Amino acid sequence: MTGQAIHPGVEVRARGRWPEPGDTVPPPVRGFAISTFGPVVVQAAVRCLERAPAVPADAGGATALVLVSARADQTTAGLISVAVDAGRRVAPMVFFQSVPNSVLGHLAAELRLTGPVVCVSPVGDPVAEGFEIADGLFRDGDATRALVIVADQDQGPDRGGGLALDPPASGTALALLVVPSDNHTSEGGSS
Amino acid sequence: MTEAVLVTGVAVATAAGRGAEASLAAVLAGRPTFAEVRRFDCGASRTRAAATLPDARSLAAELREAVDTACRDGGLGAADLAETPLLLAAGTGTTLRRADRAGDTAGAAGLATRLAERCGLAGAARAYTAACVAGSSALAEAASMIAYGRLERAVVAGGFLVDADHQALFDAGRALADDGQVRPFSRGRRGMLLGDGIAAVVLESATAAGRRAATARGRLAGWGRAGDAYHVCQPDPAGAGLARAITRALSRAGVAGGQIDYVNANGTGTSYADAAEAAALRVALADHADAVPVSSTKSVHGHALEASGVVEFVITVLALGAGRLPVNAGFVAPDDDCRLDGVVRAPARAELRHALSLNFAFGGANSALVVSAA
Repeated sequence: MTGQAIHPGVEVRARGRWPEPGDTVPPPVRGFAISTFGPVVVQAAVRCLERAPAVPADAGGATALVLVSARADQTTAGLISVAVDAGRRVAPMVFFQSVPNSVLGHLAAELRLTGPVVCVSPVGDPVAEGFEIADGLFRDGDATRALVIVADQDQGPDRGGGLALDPPASGTALALLVVPSDNHTSEGGSS
Repeated sequence: MTEAVLVTGVAVATAAGRGAEASLAAVLAGRPTFAEVRRFDCGASRTRAAATLPDARSLAAELREAVDTACRDGGLGAADLAETPLLLAAGTGTTLRRADRAGDTAGAAGLATRLAERCGLAGAARAYTAACVAGSSALAEAASMIAYGRLERAVVAGGFLVDADHQALFDAGRALADDGQVRPFSRGRRGMLLGDGIAAVVLESATAAGRRAATARGRLAGWGRAGDAYHVCQPDPAGAGLARAITRALSRAGVAGGQIDYVNANGTGTSYADAAEAAALRVALADHADAVPVSSTKSVHGHALEASGVVEFVITVLALGAGRLPVNAGFVAPDDDCRLDGVVRAPARAELRHALSLNFAFGGANSALVVSAA
């Protein structure tokens, strides 16, 4: 269905997920060692962009990053509250990955994505909400493409499970590269 | 042809007090509100100062009061409210995790949904969680929807109350000023301090406002958002992303950089962030960067994180209405790393037609809002 217009304002050009068949533990991401939330988001995003049609070097424009997550990284949030309740200092690394923007900053820097950085907790269907936001960014001229990532943690095992958090969590993510629907009417080379 | 976006109702509460007048008086006088925290035990934190509202209730209760107050200020009746959606800016982290333990697992969206219901609004349209640009992003999207006719009116609200988790977290990042003062753009600045901030705004198309003869407090004339693509949490020292956001906001507003009469800067008081912001202003405003009055009202009310964009937008609207410049408190002397000759060091009157309200955040997220007189 990649390439098919599923929202009036946007068209999907590529997608990536975590997990996909055969996935077990997401590869580590430097600076995001405490929780799987960041590595899961990164894996889905990188897979999506690897499958996207090539953008000409002189195309210009900017790719926005839109993260849609109900509660974002609750493993890291748990570490903070556990430390505070115990009267301990919080580890400095926790500070740098304490907000959902952080992992988007990693992606933006690694992939040179210069569009807006947006995070929301969805009030309705998460994918539709991500597309609405992307549509608005296109309409305003703040972005020409958007990487919409829907991610949340679930109740499975986590790499950081030895940290005595309740509950430990793994995660899932779906990344979708979208463009304004007026720009594309065919499926192009996406997979 | 797009609709003009008017500000027809506002509310704000900070450590300076409840009611727009209290916060406005504090920023116009340059009177900081930081003190040793009494709300909770600062535990192992090295810094024990923050700006807290002494009688603060729960975040949900404070947000409800702010939304109700803004809607009253805007003269909205029950029928108007019932067709007006809410866009909320709030955190996702420890605040919600602690709420989870009380049986609430819906995240910021759940908070938005309940708030809209309790205030008699049409429902929650969005719950922004994008750290320190959450509030300004919510304002930008609401304005865009109104400008392009997707909505006639929206309420945008943001809330943050200082708690032990955030104090410990920012202490861990060594981001807090250990001298108990926030000194944006000043030599000797030692970091930021957290501050309570709860604010709400009614945004409305000129057509809808005209239909009910509402009084406009100002206009949200332009908005721009851009990313740094530089670092997980540090801003681009060249300020390129913020400069692009400013340029886009000015272009949308149809306002030249030289027409900006005041900048309410992000100005956290941290060394690298203030330097990046000064660089961005030089790129976006050229020589006018040295002439335009600049202050960061965080020097008075502290950093309200996700809510800061809404709090500072409201204060900027109020300052334009008052024709007076908010003071950049704590300023000692210029710093060559972030020299801006227009830093507002004392109370002053000014004819204010257009102002910028700037915010940036972890992830290299930048936003700029152009606030114009009604």
